[in-house]
Amino acid sequence: MADQKQIAFTIDGRPVTTTAGTLVIEAAKTQGIEVPSFCYYPGLSLQAACRMCLVEVEKMPKLQTACTLVATDGMVVKTSTDQVHKARKDMIEFLLSNHPLDCPVCDKGGECELQDMTFRYGLDKTRFVEEKLHTPEQKWSPLVYYDAPRCILCFRCVRVCDEGMDVKALGVGSRGVLSVILPNKPDELACEECGMCIDICPVGALTSGTYRYQTRPWEMTYVGNPCAHCSNGCKTTLSVRNNEILRANNRDHSGINGEFLCAKGRFGYDFTSNAERIRQPLVRRNGKLEPASWEDALEEVARRLKQAHVGRGPAAIGVIGSNHTTNEENYLLNRFARVTLGTNNLDHHRTADYAGLAAALGSRAKDSLATMADVYNAPAVLLIGNDVTQQNPLVAWQIRTGVRHHGLKLYAINSLPSKIHRQAKIAVEVAKGGEHQALRWLASEHGQFDVKTTEALVQLKAALEAEKDVVVLFGADIQGAAIRDLVSLAARFGGKTKFMALGDYANSRGAADMGILPDRLPGYAHLSDSAERARFGKLWGGEISATPGLTARAMMEAAAAGKLNALYVVGANPLKTFGVAQPDRLAGLELLIVHDMFLTETAQRADVVLPAASTYEKDGSLTNTAGEVQLTHRSIDPQGPRSDFDLLRILSHQLSMLGLGTPIRLRTPEAAFDEIRQNVAGYDLAYANLLAGGSELARATSKAPEAAYDVPVGTIFSSQDYLFTSGTLGRYCSRLTSTNEAKQIPWTSSPSTQSWWQR
Amino acid sequence: MQLPPPLETKFNELAGRYPVKRSALIPMMLYAQDHLGSLGDEILEEIAKRLGLNFIEVEETLAYYSMLRRKPAGRNHIQVCTNISCMLRGGNELYKHVQKRLGIGHKEVSASGTFSLEEVECIGACTGAPAMQVNYDFYEDLDPDKVDAIFEQLQEGKKPKPSAVTAGSLHDRLPAEVPVISKRFGIPNAHKIDVYRKHEGYQALEKALTMTPDQIIDEVKKSNLRGRGGAGFPTGMKWSFVPKDTSKPNNIHANADESEPGTCKDRPLMEMDPHQLIEGMVIAGRAVGSHQGYIYIRGEYRYIIDIMDAAIAEAYARSYLGKNILGSGFDFDLVTHTGAGAYECGEESALMESLEGKRGYPRIRPPFPAVVGLYGCPTVINNAETLNTIPAIILKGGDWYSSLGTPRNGGTRLYSISGHVNRPGIYELPLGFPLRRLIEEVAGGVRGGKKLKAVIPGGSSCPLLSAGEIDIAMDYDSVAKAGSMLGSGGTVVMDEDTCMVDVARRIMHFYAHESCGWCIPCREGTAWLRKMLDRFHEGGGREEDIPLIDELSKNMLGRTFCPLGDAAALPTISIVKKWRNEFEDHLHGKCAYNAAELIAGVH
Repeated sequence: MADQKQIAFTIDGRPVTTTAGTLVIEAAKTQGIEVPSFCYYPGLSLQAACRMCLVEVEKMPKLQTACTLVATDGMVVKTSTDQVHKARKDMIEFLLSNHPLDCPVCDKGGECELQDMTFRYGLDKTRFVEEKLHTPEQKWSPLVYYDAPRCILCFRCVRVCDEGMDVKALGVGSRGVLSVILPNKPDELACEECGMCIDICPVGALTSGTYRYQTRPWEMTYVGNPCAHCSNGCKTTLSVRNNEILRANNRDHSGINGEFLCAKGRFGYDFTSNAERIRQPLVRRNGKLEPASWEDALEEVARRLKQAHVGRGPAAIGVIGSNHTTNEENYLLNRFARVTLGTNNLDHHRTADYAGLAAALGSRAKDSLATMADVYNAPAVLLIGNDVTQQNPLVAWQIRTGVRHHGLKLYAINSLPSKIHRQAKIAVEVAKGGEHQALRWLASEHGQFDVKTTEALVQLKAALEAEKDVVVLFGADIQGAAIRDLVSLAARFGGKTKFMALGDYANSRGAADMGILPDRLPGYAHLSDSAERARFGKLWGGEISATPGLTARAMMEAAAAGKLNALYVVGANPLKTFGVAQPDRLAGLELLIVHDMFLTETAQRADVVLPAASTYEKDGSLTNTAGEVQLTHRSIDPQGPRSDFDLLRILSHQLSMLGLGTPIRLRTPEAAFDEIRQNVAGYDLAYANLLAGGSELARATSKAPEAAYDVPVGTIFSSQDYLFTSGTLGRYCSRLTSTNEAKQIPWTSSPSTQSWWQR
Repeated sequence: MQLPPPLETKFNELAGRYPVKRSALIPMMLYAQDHLGSLGDEILEEIAKRLGLNFIEVEETLAYYSMLRRKPAGRNHIQVCTNISCMLRGGNELYKHVQKRLGIGHKEVSASGTFSLEEVECIGACTGAPAMQVNYDFYEDLDPDKVDAIFEQLQEGKKPKPSAVTAGSLHDRLPAEVPVISKRFGIPNAHKIDVYRKHEGYQALEKALTMTPDQIIDEVKKSNLRGRGGAGFPTGMKWSFVPKDTSKPNNIHANADESEPGTCKDRPLMEMDPHQLIEGMVIAGRAVGSHQGYIYIRGEYRYIIDIMDAAIAEAYARSYLGKNILGSGFDFDLVTHTGAGAYECGEESALMESLEGKRGYPRIRPPFPAVVGLYGCPTVINNAETLNTIPAIILKGGDWYSSLGTPRNGGTRLYSISGHVNRPGIYELPLGFPLRRLIEEVAGGVRGGKKLKAVIPGGSSCPLLSAGEIDIAMDYDSVAKAGSMLGSGGTVVMDEDTCMVDVARRIMHFYAHESCGWCIPCREGTAWLRKMLDRFHEGGGREEDIPLIDELSKNMLGRTFCPLGDAAALPTISIVKKWRNEFEDHLHGKCAYNAAELIAGVH
């Protein structure tokens, strides 16, 4: 890194020792001294525009801006002199001269930096008696509104959009006191709708279309939760009033995402209150799904599962789990399937080969898994087969920020076009599915490419071999043997290489870690491992068969072929996911049970639908694609639906009374998480940090690296969700889908994803 | 988009002119506007495409510059200056006359599309005040009859003959004058290279090519030449700041964005003696190891740009520019660059942003341009007049030049004297020349035998001097000692009938219009003061406004990002201090100038 020389100077008489190059405003923070500012924003380019941070420096005739002043040896800085106080007062007075004092109706009232600064540093009277400038408010998109008179022109929004997001949807119009922020199209934003500009706005100039004029900030409670959508696990702060989520934003920056949130994390919370939400159990009677009481519905499920079990035996029962239910729920589902129902036909829609990575790394996984912070800190990142801008927005943010802050070098091998390639030193574009071939060429120079690609690969190889401490990111197409090739290639890089498999959904990683797989137990122990089978069998009060079960796709095929008798689906929509949407594909089933929030294609075909609570309505933990575990909280009451955790627990009691399995005695997700921490490899995590809102990296391991194995084609694949889609859940996020951008094909999408927004 | 062939040619030439394509943005927009009448979405998208920019980058740049417009203007775009020098000589009345005659107001277009009108800020015709521009043509020394004659011709589709040269630049030499940089003024065709060469032209360059860079810098240091833009920084020292060991290419930058109200000296220098600037820049390039020069000329001076371009072409043809100049092995390329209406771009770092095709926001310093300037490379940026003095210094020696002025203030400079004097004009005088003699002797004294009330010594950003304060020497140090600044040499004289509240109001209008909007105190302070001075001058003043005008100015002073805030504050503070009685009179309905009324439609 940069010069680590230490320098000593004083602020308000206090001696400070700090690294050479430190800005005075930052050094002051370390002393608990606030130097107020609007335009200064750590991590973005310097402006020195707002002049709020003026401080006195001995031997300098004029006041200096602490946000651009680099501390030097022997410097004497004073932040609390009469001159400084007067300057702050004067700046606030200037700022308020044209600022409308509509605080009583301004969304920002109560959490406005200008309000706070006026309270602390401002004048107690108004001397401005001229007419204020006024222009009408503008709607730039259904999600972003701009009120120019409130704007103090700190240019944070312009910078975060340009520097942070690399979108540059905002600019500055006119000049002088008439200056305004401009959207990139007349009166309209055409952008990623991340809403970062709203979050970063210190005043009420940029407001959220979903939140504006709804409430006052002090009327709400705030709950920090991992986002319900993609696999990156950003923390989003839900603002709740009267059991309703009114806003999601990122004001405390305490999550792994720092200040980042994308459109899904910020605006994609309204599925919780979607009118199509199922609030009551549904039981099929006379061919029609009809509302039923919980008692009747659960009794029906237990009775019919028992029937199926007795009828064609456990091998004809399949269980499909979810990639957005909690770890605790998946853990319970594993026990429910393997012990209560006695079947290894257990799987979920796998969107990255986490098991393959665990197998390839073996015990090396302990220090070879990259966190989101590692992506930012890495000197170099190798990205393979993923459009991170669209599919993994936080990963993309981390890369962009790393490039900007410390010259992170990005290398990419991609069959998907991606905006992130603008940041790449070398981006090798390959044909669909060509990533593995390219890896093989890099590892062993086997394979044929056209001249252009070959040249790019030669360059890439040389560049990578000169790098050290590389973070390797790869998408769904790198699976099985390709991961083995990747890991052996990475052995040639210098330093410590770390890996991250990029999956699709909020708990894609957790589902795999918890063993929602036909051949693996929680912690990736293979079913052939008799000791592990025995351990979990003992824990769960039953025997676990050593024979691997069917994959999810195979279960669907078996169902179609009449080889499966009953299918138990938790939080998944396999009819849609596995491309077998024709209704008769499930004709061979005698029983279909579905837990879900909505009447999905699969739920519509069910015999019993149990309404499930969403991620934002229950306690538990989620594991992001990096393996970082975070707690999710019940921020609102689900009003009707129950958590999958409760449903499985209650059913285990009912089934045990019918002679199937033993009742699950884990009464709460916390209790289940304790059991996970004690029994699942890699999950021995520090709970205190999680309780405090932090994240802990789960380093799921298998004991020794295993021979690579190829999973059947079609088992692991990405849904290729984009910024405005989120699997089945995304369809119920009406705000997310309300923007023009959501209705257009994004500029980076490949032809194969032309109808992505309809998903 | 299919472009008219001359525009296509211009675009191609502009696209290849700069090391970074975006630099062509502002010239492209201005030239496109000249051809197409206005800048619609289609042409902006075309420019964005050619330069590889997002539309918003084009749009926000456009929005900054006052000459660029989205809506069409009339075929004859009438731009009447009402800034201080013009105002003092009837600019407001002229503007009203034009409004009445054309039946349109500020930024309006006549129904036929023949005319459009705009009240503009200083156009650099201060010694020919009142003045206006029709499109790019200057018409000076106007009165309503002359204006009517011009409009009659325009209505007939004819082009009236523009003023021949910058008014006041040609006159019989006065005994007090010491022509050094203006010595070729009045020589027929001095702008042509052969005439220039006949009158000592390019001899200094030939000499400089035999000198080492350090020898050139030493000579400039010896000359005690100080920057003529306003701040008066020693030029030789500035050149010596350029790092010698950098791998990046250096740039020489001439600041000819002359727009300080009251100042019109670069205009005649480039108009009548363009080769002198070229020669000065090549020598500067030689001194600091630069091979590329840029001349940033304000957009309103289009005819000057054409003159400069022609001179540059001549210089290339005679090997005074280009590769291996005069066989010396030294290479130097030079191009002009047009601004598009922004006073702030006269600030050196804002000028570089502007030349890079961006909004003219000043940059954070340090780093200073000598280390990180244009395109991130070391850059020497000097006022055009400063660079014009270099040939004489090299040819006749730094000691000779220095001896013309006073100690620490070497040489001569051009004064553009305007306002209520008998002989407004451009005069070259040695540094240290007495201000009283400048007004009474050189400029012929106050017009109509009236008494002197106030003087702006060097452009409207300087504190004003009262009649009792003019016994000072016009050099940087003496004027500073008197509490003002020598500035840009734009001396504006006001007689006893001048309303100083109106002067303060007009000055603040200018700075509020030109504030870039980057920093809060300047953006909000100038706008607030403008409104308050308007109200005050109109008769709506309150007693508490007088100290408030003073305090708000002081609240800007020294706290703004760039010197524009100081430029707005300093004259205002001086007026409130020295003519407070006139503010008090206003409270009682009295005004020193009977035409005390607000100009409608002003910015």
